[in-house]
Amino acid sequence: MTAFAADDLVADTVDRLLLDLCSPDVVEHAEADGWAPELWNAFSESGFPWVSVPDTAGGSGGTLGDAAAILHGIGRYAAPVPVAETGMLAGWLLAGSGLEIPGGVATVATGLSLQGGHLVGDATVAWGARSERIVALVQDGAAWKVASVPTSALAIERGANLAGEPSDLVHFDVTSGGFDLAAAAEGVDADALLQRGALSRVILSAGAFRALTQITIDYTNERKQFGKTIAGFQAVQQFLVNTAQCSVRVNMAAERAVRALAAGEPGIAIAAAKVLTDAAVAEGTRAAHQAHGAMGVTREYPLHQLTRRLWAWRHEYGTASMWRRRLGTAAHQAGADHVFELITD
Amino acid sequence: MIEFDYSELTPSERALQGEVREFLDRELPHGSYHPALGFHADKDPEFSRKLGAQGYLGMSLPKQYGGHERSAVDRFVVTEELLRRGAPVGHHWVADRQSGPVIAKFGTEHQKQRFIPGIVRGELSFCIGMSEPDSGSDLASVATKATRDGDGWVLEGRKIWTTFAHLNDWAIVLCRSTPVAELTDKRQGLSQFIVDLKSPGLTATPIPFIDGTSDFCEVELDQVFVPDELVLGSIGQGWAQNTSELAYERGGPDRWLSSYTLLAELLRLHEQQPLPDRFADVLGEALANYWVLHSLSLSVARSIDSGGAPAVESSLVKEMGTRFEQDVVTAINGIVDEAPNMSDTSAFVRLLISATVTAPSFTIRGGTNEVLRSVAAKGLQPSGGKR
Repeated sequence: MTAFAADDLVADTVDRLLLDLCSPDVVEHAEADGWAPELWNAFSESGFPWVSVPDTAGGSGGTLGDAAAILHGIGRYAAPVPVAETGMLAGWLLAGSGLEIPGGVATVATGLSLQGGHLVGDATVAWGARSERIVALVQDGAAWKVASVPTSALAIERGANLAGEPSDLVHFDVTSGGFDLAAAAEGVDADALLQRGALSRVILSAGAFRALTQITIDYTNERKQFGKTIAGFQAVQQFLVNTAQCSVRVNMAAERAVRALAAGEPGIAIAAAKVLTDAAVAEGTRAAHQAHGAMGVTREYPLHQLTRRLWAWRHEYGTASMWRRRLGTAAHQAGADHVFELITD
Repeated sequence: MIEFDYSELTPSERALQGEVREFLDRELPHGSYHPALGFHADKDPEFSRKLGAQGYLGMSLPKQYGGHERSAVDRFVVTEELLRRGAPVGHHWVADRQSGPVIAKFGTEHQKQRFIPGIVRGELSFCIGMSEPDSGSDLASVATKATRDGDGWVLEGRKIWTTFAHLNDWAIVLCRSTPVAELTDKRQGLSQFIVDLKSPGLTATPIPFIDGTSDFCEVELDQVFVPDELVLGSIGQGWAQNTSELAYERGGPDRWLSSYTLLAELLRLHEQQPLPDRFADVLGEALANYWVLHSLSLSVARSIDSGGAPAVESSLVKEMGTRFEQDVVTAINGIVDEAPNMSDTSAFVRLLISATVTAPSFTIRGGTNEVLRSVAAKGLQPSGGKR
């Protein structure tokens, strides 16, 4: 299924949990209600949202690979739970700075600033209103600091990304006593958070692509026209092959990028993976939808739960254009005779 | 289900990569040769002999015939380094990649002793004798006839798209040895022969290629006698032998590096000066794709080494890798300021012209993408509802 985790136990457990509790109906209801309480509770009880956050800091322990295996499952089932935010992003910031890990949802805000000890600014925050704490990385002079704000103290305007997952506009104007503040861990800066956030979207997308490919294969092997299953038509096979190729590229990119970051040497990996994911989203969602025909653009058939998420995630943590240019600059710096080492190393 | 297990180079494979880089930096310094576009490369017997002496040819072949019994991944490492520099691999390419392994697998003791040492040394050159004027993707329809005659066979027919047939030593020729009318399946009754390209009755005529080169040939076989000792494998088993010859080589770096030297030369033009944004964008997109195709190809090679049969995976890689090779050419054509002129002798413009006109062949040679998609689609099976 996926080889992110050191052993298959995490991936298998997550898969069983999602199979039991995350049917397309649950996903649909969560979009209407803004929350899937039973699903989140099951995740929370198992400790999955805090995997990769050290247990000494209040997390669940485990590796980044384990966390990736969980996110990949969430992507496969389009599960409406803020696990990437709570652990891999907010949990990582909090644990690195020695701040307390909350028991509920935590999420991250970017682009805020410290002004005279006050935390100010507006930020669009995934799952903002659902969270217990919003964690921000802010600059204090030359130093990076982590601010942890109780969500109850904030003014929030509800919104949603195009997959219908909460994406709220949060106004910050918090006085110095109203939030916790600590120095960020060494090496943690805005770019490190951006890279980690981008990687979370790549992993989720890899999972969604795996499922997208499978349900497209399944559908075209059931649907009959002209007296045979449509998967038997060469023109349809082309869409299946394209969808599978997109999935293969994004999954390989996700795994290589996770390993690169886990080894502390992300290099071009996350940028490359995000660029590849963006291109695959364009190509793969088009092919999968075309193979499904009109059924794929209805709300009753669950294709949209995957494709709408892929279209939403591509916008999060840096545009493809930004990452592409960054890669091009890296190629230029390496030069004609050494750029190949970026590809192989 | 399709499987691409993630893999990394081991320390000893990294060491090999380092050795190859050092060797090629020395042998092929920039400016000392015309970089090629992938394996459509110049024939340079001297260079091939040097590679052979270095142990970089016939890497997977048995030691008792001079081979090195190294892994598919080792060969992948060497091939990547050669192709990314556009090295002149034309002389040994087919022999090393295809003919040597197929002789090692199906050949007689006599054939192995006769051919493999020369292939490993980079001396013997081979051609692929599959396609015919009326037989391309539908390979089982080959009409070149092999007729029993004394202690051998007489071949009669035409082969086409036979690279370097006018210069090379040998060809492995697929023929019909039993007429289709006597069979229930036209994939039966096919046989492979190792044919001396200097045989009486054999004429190789170059077919001018779209880029002005004349490496492609049409081969006419007019009563060409092949002794029994040069029948490859078993009479009637040509289809199965031929399929195994094609299957696993499709996922290699030659299927996504064909336009790499063009990109490298574009980069060279901008060394020591600012890179315009539109160039950075094209380079960035390409870099991301090379980065992942490297991992996918490595995964296929690793799978072969562990006894897997990644035929579907190889087809998926070749189909997208070759389209990507074309995309690179299209993207670069979209950002160059000056129309390429045939009188320009710079490496970049020379490669741009050649890449532009030969790019359509990337998705045709070695099995058209339309056929590859059918092969790949066979591996895309329903899951029973599992995600």
